[in-house]
Amino acid sequence: MSTKKIAYLGLLLALAFVFSYVENLIPVSLGIPGAKLGLANLVVVVTLYTLTEKDAFFLSVIRIVLVGFTFGTMASMIYSFAGAGLSFLVMVVAKKTRLFSVTGVSVLGGVFHNVGQIFVAMWALETESLIYYLPVLVVAGSISGVVIGILGAEITKRLMGR
Amino acid sequence: MERKTKKNDILLIVGLLVMALLFSMGLALYRQINTRQPVAVVRIGEAEYGRFPLNVEITETIELSNGAYNILKIENGKADITEASCPDGICVRHWAISKQNETIVCLPNQVVVEIENGEESDVDSMTN
Amino acid sequence: MNRIKKASVLAAALLLLCGLAVYFQSSRQPMRYTVTFFDMFDTRTEIVGYASNEEEFIRQAELLADKLLYYHRLYDIYNDYEGISNLKTINEKAGIEPVKVEREIIELLKFGKEMYEVTDGQMNIAMGSVLRIWHDYREAGRNNPSAALLPPMESLEQAAGHTDIRQVIIDEENETVYLADAEMSLDVGSIGKGYAVQQVAEYAREIGMDSVLFSVGGNVCAVGSKPEKDLWRVGIQNPDTESNETYLRKVEIADACVVTSGNYQRYYTVNGVRYSHIIDPDTLMPAEYAASVSVVTRDSGVADALSTAVYNMPYEQGRAWVASMDGVEAMWIFGDGSIRYSDGFEDYMVQ
Repeated sequence: MSTKKIAYLGLLLALAFVFSYVENLIPVSLGIPGAKLGLANLVVVVTLYTLTEKDAFFLSVIRIVLVGFTFGTMASMIYSFAGAGLSFLVMVVAKKTRLFSVTGVSVLGGVFHNVGQIFVAMWALETESLIYYLPVLVVAGSISGVVIGILGAEITKRLMGR
Repeated sequence: MERKTKKNDILLIVGLLVMALLFSMGLALYRQINTRQPVAVVRIGEAEYGRFPLNVEITETIELSNGAYNILKIENGKADITEASCPDGICVRHWAISKQNETIVCLPNQVVVEIENGEESDVDSMTN
Repeated sequence: MNRIKKASVLAAALLLLCGLAVYFQSSRQPMRYTVTFFDMFDTRTEIVGYASNEEEFIRQAELLADKLLYYHRLYDIYNDYEGISNLKTINEKAGIEPVKVEREIIELLKFGKEMYEVTDGQMNIAMGSVLRIWHDYREAGRNNPSAALLPPMESLEQAAGHTDIRQVIIDEENETVYLADAEMSLDVGSIGKGYAVQQVAEYAREIGMDSVLFSVGGNVCAVGSKPEKDLWRVGIQNPDTESNETYLRKVEIADACVVTSGNYQRYYTVNGVRYSHIIDPDTLMPAEYAASVSVVTRDSGVADALSTAVYNMPYEQGRAWVASMDGVEAMWIFGDGSIRYSDGFEDYMVQ
């Protein structure tokens, strides 16, 4: 791993951390623990397109652990892992199919992030009624996915075209 | 290539939105079918004794192990305790209930009748 | 794409994000929760409130219920509880010795004395000796309805000779209470519940619950309003329990309490005549002026005391008396179903 890459990854990680922090400041909670807009997903998307899947995966894991220990609880960390894990998996598959642009991939990531969290919440809180939030969360995930996708594509273009 | 992925993106988003819409419509329908039926839930202490739909007229004698009893009558879509062995008789002197979360309580026998899935009451509480 | 175009796309995206944040923030409505308890004041306690999640609300409601239970034990005159001196202890030591008690008992008794003055003796917490006789006859009558009897007037009058509230000696410095008359006893049935609810309502405010509705056996007390400034809606029940109409009127309140005193739930029957549990200190018999009296005012303890006092007065007298007080409104429901209001009561009513 080159020094340049290490510095770049560190920068991305710091950025993801800051985004998580900003999200913590503005709780856009939907009444479901851990359901967020997913700003940090922007960094994951950018990493996915500028570096490798492995890098993005590790970045994702380290971010969750760091954020969990800094701002969250054990419970919020489990929610994050569920959301981010599913989201990451779906994004990698979507990217590999080459069917979608950055936007499409990030939309899928956003949606499945929320889906993952809600299923864990339903399991942990033993309240099936949370399923009623699913449509709202799918819409929210799509919208934030579009925003993050457009931003991510812009950033990726600049970084790669440098 | 780029044009195609962009088209797929849009298809994906539209698809997701349609799915969300259909899903929420399905849920609403499911909810309506499942929760429409108001029932009187009878509990003795913490344990559930039985559930009695308000649209079926019955007279049920709730018998306790110590010989005490309360008679639950469901009539005209309302649940009422018409007779009881308890000395204070407050449960018998209670109005018939039919609205969501309304209760009739017999403290001596620890019998509670509560309406579930009922029509929303238009008051938050009552004095008596 | 030129710079301006890019910048505007970015700006639009940011704006959308902010808009979304605001939208979800505002759409995060607190949910309504209700918890019910059956172990206090021989009645049903319901706490209704709004919170962002159920666990949080139940945790807070249990704090409130614990407080209520504590007050219930202190103000109980029929049961002993390990490790606490309550009103039963004070009654047992009447004429014998002062009893060291908790601050909450001293405060209640001081409030009781204050309400005695305010109600000109219509609400007397030192009437335990009289109420005890009624209580015993009522219990016996309910257990064996065919042999139900009225208490003999002589014994009631004899007991009434031992209801002088000045004989309740409160020593604030040493935190003791002493009943100087050995024959007397305390019975706070007419204010204890209301006073306790008021204290717990204030506690709820202290711990930051700003939208709670208490109902302790019909003592309804609102802390704050509902979310979005909506008022709490409280039904005033129909004294006719056979009727199809559960409540006759509805009132809307915020940061206020409604208490109803009525003859239709706790009573017993002697030779086909109903005798309710509210005893008029003047006649020593159940008052018969109205089927129920509801009082709306800010303080639950005051509402409780006043509803009993007004119930024990003829309508005209009660009406004039209510009119003389600030921030107190009342509604009377009579045996024939007719309803009267104090001048300001209709402001609370839902038309």
